[in-house]
Amino acid sequence: MAAREPSRYLARGLPRTFVPSARSQAFLNRRNVSDEAPARRLSDQLEDLETASSLTTSVSESAASSFDPIARSKTRKTQLPRGRYQFRSPKYDRGPLHPHQPPAPSDPSSRLFVPGPFALPRAEQTYNSTVASDILTLCYVHTPPGFKPPPKAPRLREWDDSSPYHKNRPLRGPRGGDVLRLLRKPIKFNNIPKIERITLHSYVKEAAQDNSGWLHVAGIAVQAISNVRVETFKSKASVANWSLVPGRDTVAVKAELQGENMYHFLGKLIDVVLPRLKDWPGVKGSSGDSSGNITFGLEPEQMALFPEIEVNYDMYPPKMIPGCHITLHTTAKADKDARLLLSAMGIPFYGKIVQ
Amino acid sequence: MSMHTTLRRTAATLPSSTSSILPSSQIITAQSKSTSFVCSQCRHATLLRRPKRPYTFTQLVTLSDGSSFTHRTSSPTPVYRSTRDTRNSLLWNPTSSKLMNVEDDEAGRLAAFRARFGRSFDANAPAAEEDATAKKEKEEEIKAQQAAEQQEEDNLLDLISSFGQQEAPPPEKKKKW
Repeated sequence: MAAREPSRYLARGLPRTFVPSARSQAFLNRRNVSDEAPARRLSDQLEDLETASSLTTSVSESAASSFDPIARSKTRKTQLPRGRYQFRSPKYDRGPLHPHQPPAPSDPSSRLFVPGPFALPRAEQTYNSTVASDILTLCYVHTPPGFKPPPKAPRLREWDDSSPYHKNRPLRGPRGGDVLRLLRKPIKFNNIPKIERITLHSYVKEAAQDNSGWLHVAGIAVQAISNVRVETFKSKASVANWSLVPGRDTVAVKAELQGENMYHFLGKLIDVVLPRLKDWPGVKGSSGDSSGNITFGLEPEQMALFPEIEVNYDMYPPKMIPGCHITLHTTAKADKDARLLLSAMGIPFYGKIVQ
Repeated sequence: MSMHTTLRRTAATLPSSTSSILPSSQIITAQSKSTSFVCSQCRHATLLRRPKRPYTFTQLVTLSDGSSFTHRTSSPTPVYRSTRDTRNSLLWNPTSSKLMNVEDDEAGRLAAFRARFGRSFDANAPAAEEDATAKKEKEEEIKAQQAAEQQEEDNLLDLISSFGQQEAPPPEKKKKW
């Protein structure tokens, strides 16, 4: 009976004809391939979909009775090599001069091996099929043949030799500040900005004041929404009001998403979570670290809107659900390009757009 | 001595290459890379921890307009149906009049209330009705214009056909442009 429930939903949801919406792309230049497709094929994706929750599965009688690994091994002519004759990676890295070296992490026999990717996420498909080519078109700058860009001044200035002490000094920093910005090259086919990684970070100051339960709840909540085991961090600052001592109190939780996990999280965030935020204007247009990384924050009540937290909301103590900061690291060298990329992926920006 | 250790190291890598999928040349290059790392006096052995990965399920997300996609998630629900998403939120569809119209007045109760108790600011018809009336007016205008053009054309045809037959042609209609 439980297995029949989702199939009813599927039957209702699948044959619906897709009506192409006549949305104007003024505010968000977001485009999906599915917007133009007359009929979408889901059949190949649905094969790896579990029709019921794995918690309620039952093994059929015939499968259970036919499962006899000992008889199966006896019918084999030559036995499989025993476990101790197979290569096992050393448990410890004993340094580069030790004769017993662990294999590279990309080797499946390595202890550090992480299998995957297992799926091609929708957000990644959208990026590859539409967003990348759109950005390439939007960033095209035509230079007529024979055009030579005017020579730029060097980024690090030389000292004028007005003083004998200028000899052998290192070069001066740029005018108007000490920060040497990233060099923005023209965007060509081989350096289209893309999303590199996403960092979820949650600072729980109550973990230092109250008990460690706050940190456990924050870690599990961040792990649930990101599919990645979190790292914990100790405080570096000393705040007397929060009774924080640097190096003593563990106060922060971080998850780094890359590759497949990142795109799954991004798709979920954009399509399901962000539209449900009440009175959310978008990401502030002036956010960003001026080298292509954009950060925004979610309040605790907004974190509770993630489907993974919502599905067993009772598991979390309602007070202890943390807020978090989401940093989207892109390979863009300027915030302008990063915003172009993220708005094409579907993240809205509001306010004055600082370039 | 160093010669001896390199020999032993390559011997140690050989069984790993037999049990792995990767070609042995790649592994040997990886080994040489790892040996080029300069260790600054750390003599302890570091534990190679197996990476922890939470279990993930494949979930079908059905958006509010019926479109759906699958993703990997830690929630065990096989199908997630969303009521509010990018397809029906105003922020992602800024020009959609359906989403702008917040007031849902199916039975006309609010309109009736306004007609009875409405003051100056809300005595007027709601925006949707205004839209409808404006549309009607526009249609009527277009129809009138078309009728006028038709009439004018008829007049001109009359003029041609009746050339020389009538002494006094009918007075020409004033042109609009």
